[in-house]
Amino acid sequence: MKEAVFDVFARKDRGDPLVHIGYVDAMDAELARVYAWKTYDEQNWFEMCVVPRTAIIPVNRTDGPFAANALGRKEGEG
Amino acid sequence: MSDAFQVPDLPEDVRAALRRHILALADTKRLLGLRYSDWLLGAPSIETGIAASSMSQDEWGHARLLYAMLKDLGEDPSPVEHDRPAAEYANAPSLDEPFSDWAGFVAAMVVVDGALTLALEGFSQGRFDPARSRVPKMLAEEEFHRDMGLAWLRRLGQGSDEARARLQQAVRAAVPSSLAWLAPRDRAFGLLVAAGLTAPAETLLDGFREAYGEVLRSVGAEALEPDFEGWDEIRGRGPGQPAEELVERARGDRNRALLLD
Repeated sequence: MKEAVFDVFARKDRGDPLVHIGYVDAMDAELARVYAWKTYDEQNWFEMCVVPRTAIIPVNRTDGPFAANALGRKEGEG
Repeated sequence: MSDAFQVPDLPEDVRAALRRHILALADTKRLLGLRYSDWLLGAPSIETGIAASSMSQDEWGHARLLYAMLKDLGEDPSPVEHDRPAAEYANAPSLDEPFSDWAGFVAAMVVVDGALTLALEGFSQGRFDPARSRVPKMLAEEEFHRDMGLAWLRRLGQGSDEARARLQQAVRAAVPSSLAWLAPRDRAFGLLVAAGLTAPAETLLDGFREAYGEVLRSVGAEALEPDFEGWDEIRGRGPGQPAEELVERARGDRNRALLLD
């Protein structure tokens, strides 16, 4: 079964910035929720979200983990 | 349900029924935690193994809280946790033997953990104060167990013919004894219900069918009926007992000399 990457964002307290804390591989969003909650359980998070990496559009970088979604990027480009 | 009561006022037979109920819940939690822990390194992915590890620890923690409720009945939980023979364990019977494969793990997440959650909901809505105060947090943690179980059940249900066949077999094997464990039709459980200590058996069964019926039917488990063949009224479960090796781990036999208060 094919898995996708889901990035994990969380905040400790209401009003804190939502920060990127890691990622999980999961077959779907339902499992990504559980895996994220169970993997990054070192804090008593106020809020946690998962985002499919394919949904993240980089704004100013064409390298790094989100580079595959850079707008204007051509298929197969380095 | 009505207000909490004082344990010393309980008639002896109701008190014994309450003790049996606490053991059924605590033993199932403890052994389910151990069965989950068997798959920390054999799960289909690292993330799944981490989740299994976390669920295992959840179950272990819940078991300790449940055993501690025996103190409210005036009983020291330590001998219950560390000295009882396997023949006295009141766990859901499908935990007696190891899961044969990952489908068995998934079936347990939905059927056994699901039945356990329904049982705890009923207990938390009753008149026993320790259950009303301590169980809601367990139920909140259980939401992620349910979500993981249902997600995996659907996944395997959409998998290969062999995956579906194994899942169907595991679910069908787990349902009858788990539902009997959830909703006993014996005198002891009737006493608990009459005393307002838990929800009626039919309410619990209806709750299970409402929560899991559709998804279980979708993987070929149509008959969601309890099987009371060989019912053991002393323990409140069907026949059999957990494997000795499992109970040795549950009791902490190898660490006995290292036990700390």
